[in-house]
Amino acid sequence: MPAVFKRVGKDRYRARLSHEEVEVLRGLPDQLRSVLEEAEPDPVTERLFPPAYRSPEDSERQAEYRRLMQEELLAEKLANVSLVVSTLDRGQQRQRRWTVELTEEEALAWLGVLNDLRLALGVRLDITEDFDGLVAPDDPDAAAKHLLSYLGWLEEHLVQALSA
Amino acid sequence: MSTTAPTRERIEQDDEVAEPDVPWVVIVWNDPINLMSYVVFVLQKLFGYSRDKATKLMLDVHQKGKAVVSSGPREKAEFDVFRLHGHGLWATMQKDR
Repeated sequence: MPAVFKRVGKDRYRARLSHEEVEVLRGLPDQLRSVLEEAEPDPVTERLFPPAYRSPEDSERQAEYRRLMQEELLAEKLANVSLVVSTLDRGQQRQRRWTVELTEEEALAWLGVLNDLRLALGVRLDITEDFDGLVAPDDPDAAAKHLLSYLGWLEEHLVQALSA
Repeated sequence: MSTTAPTRERIEQDDEVAEPDVPWVVIVWNDPINLMSYVVFVLQKLFGYSRDKATKLMLDVHQKGKAVVSSGPREKAEFDVFRLHGHGLWATMQKDR
């Protein structure tokens, strides 16, 4: 099986995925976008925009951090989503696999989106122990856990390509 | 008038000494989702750490539950936390004491 992500030059990467994988991935950026744009704080946004200050005596500084930084963090994450969507639109079938070339910036956007998706899924699934990817067949959350596992596998490949 | 000025200066200096510039530490906490390889990658990317140093910090996070990944004045620590949050790491900051 060919490498999912591969460095093909200076700051150039190639993603090669099956048709089925791309179909799964296409729906995810929009889902992440709606999670990010959720107006009311919930456990997922708490995880994606965590507090900087823990101590109660720093509560004013924490409010200031949130006021100044949350919008910028959100803008970064939404920019990542847009970049990933544009690469998903650009990819083409080549030698029976869907293929797209990514710049370094686009590859990092993929990394950010994959990671944010996994963090959001992890909170939704209430995963509190290290997730080993094993899913019991009768688990009511089996589909979501398989997705979490798949996205982790994909992210691992991308980290390896970016570190190569 | 001129004789009182030095005294006042000395008092002001003493006041500054009485409020030492306590450094802040940036802590990354363990979480069950972030990949070990991803945490190493992010620490290298953001702080320019060697792979060995980033790996040691990641293992501290994983095994001990947390690790101090950077320190400095409050503004620097806050910027580091902000960048870690941008990469999905669970980071906080506190005074080093």
